[in-house]
Amino acid sequence: MSVGGDKLNWSLSRTLVIASNTFREAVRMKLFLGMTGLAICALASSFLFREFNFGSSELKFIADFGFGGMTVFGSALAIIVTAQLLLGEIEHRTAMTLLAKPVYRSEFVLGKFLGVWVTVACFIGMLTLCLVLALWMRESSIRLDYPEEIEQGQSLVHYGGILWFSLAQVFRIGILCALVTLFSTYATSSIFAMVMGVLVWIVGQLQHVATEAGGVVENLVLKTIYSVMGYALPNFHLFDVGEGLAMGEALPISLVGKLLIYGVLYSVFYLAVATASFNRREL
Amino acid sequence: MSAAISIQGVSKDFRIPGSKRRLRAVDNLNLEIERGSVFGLLGPNGSGKSTTIKMALGLVRPSKGKCEILGNSSLESSARKRIGYLPEAPCFQRFLTGRELLFYFGKLSGVKKTDLEDRVNSLLVRVGLEDAGDRRVGGYSKGMLQRIGLAQAMVGDPELFILDEPTAGVDPIGAADIAAIIREVREEGKTVLLCSHLLSKVETICDRAAIMVKGKLALEGSVESLTAATDFSSARIEGLSAEGRKQLETFAAEWHFDLSTPRRSLEELFLELAKGDGDLE
Repeated sequence: MSVGGDKLNWSLSRTLVIASNTFREAVRMKLFLGMTGLAICALASSFLFREFNFGSSELKFIADFGFGGMTVFGSALAIIVTAQLLLGEIEHRTAMTLLAKPVYRSEFVLGKFLGVWVTVACFIGMLTLCLVLALWMRESSIRLDYPEEIEQGQSLVHYGGILWFSLAQVFRIGILCALVTLFSTYATSSIFAMVMGVLVWIVGQLQHVATEAGGVVENLVLKTIYSVMGYALPNFHLFDVGEGLAMGEALPISLVGKLLIYGVLYSVFYLAVATASFNRREL
Repeated sequence: MSAAISIQGVSKDFRIPGSKRRLRAVDNLNLEIERGSVFGLLGPNGSGKSTTIKMALGLVRPSKGKCEILGNSSLESSARKRIGYLPEAPCFQRFLTGRELLFYFGKLSGVKKTDLEDRVNSLLVRVGLEDAGDRRVGGYSKGMLQRIGLAQAMVGDPELFILDEPTAGVDPIGAADIAAIIREVREEGKTVLLCSHLLSKVETICDRAAIMVKGKLALEGSVESLTAATDFSSARIEGLSAEGRKQLETFAAEWHFDLSTPRRSLEELFLELAKGDGDLE
């Protein structure tokens, strides 16, 4: 049996082997099943709470519940699973056996990231399916109840926009996975990586405040700090674009495209730093 | 041809957390392990054996000196193309079955898809796990973990095996089986670096051995030369009659030497009982 010459090329197939194993581990975790069940229950409960919709339309209320579930549960899953699956390999010393094989550390880091990212993407995919189903069921019953008020052919919900929105969320969570991957490459406990992940998620949600503050303050030091923070940390608020989808408004494809590029650039940047950090780590 | 492992003037210092002091785990170690030999690395706990192995595998960077594996720097990933490593107290992905684990490591080792299935099946038989191959690794006993660990080390058909305590937690039958596999591997012309506390096993398997104490190389040489005692000789006589023994005792008294009845080791006794039907010969 031959394994080739002495030179070892960087291999996408080895990366994908690690990714598929990570995915298999993630979906066999009780946490994944629990989170999925919980998120679907939360979405289903929007039917029960639709009387408390604070004046907004029923469909928008259901959509907001679904979008919130995707963001909150998706982010929680991304943080926990990334930290557990990457640091778990180091803590349980399984990484030693793996890295004693002809595997580059960058392949290991990227494989772990891809495995978790695909897991979270599947989770968002399932929630999207449930959300679309819930909205379609409610829309159908509204059409039956109010046949004269709704014009023939008029769609109350922009379903295509929901799919684009979900795709954008996959990339938003990709950034978060890349960040937690980075923390995991130098952390000594998964708790630390998870706490850092939560903090960064909060800061990322409020990052636009720092950017705005950078434009207002006159102190050069503060201005520099705000600007650096504005570039170094992702602005997760940019991905909150689902506002009008349940009222039939479309999501511009150009905006989705920009969000995808934004997500890819930040993820690649954090993964490059994570690889550099992990290359220095002694196991 | 280069040595299988060449360690040249290697030292490793670890920073002590919360202090500026450093702990020297390995101190100016020089070691050459020839290809095709079984080399035993011995030493008490904390003597620097595992750190030496990790440096050889490129998992830890030496503070000073250099390590070469089969002619390549151990820090290059390509050096690990021809290594099979079994870690001490092996811990594997618990959610995988034994078979899935071997497939996983086989793919990472670059084994061709067409060869992988046959290779995995033959390895499961070779390490005695053919009936447990479809069980999850999480349910394996310590001995089974060592066996599957040995199989994953062999899956890429490496030239060099680095085995850290391969018989730890394994019963004497398992230990004897693992020793037999190591002998087979040597007969195939491969090199084995073996770390073990079971000195009797090392003595019977290894061609050469080194003893490390407090990070330094205390002794190195062929097992024969290290264990040879030059100031006495011994003879073993089987089936000696009572009269023969009497004559020998007289002779011993005249020539001032000791005559004793050899004892069987508990390991020999255990193996005889366990491999037979419980009856002793």
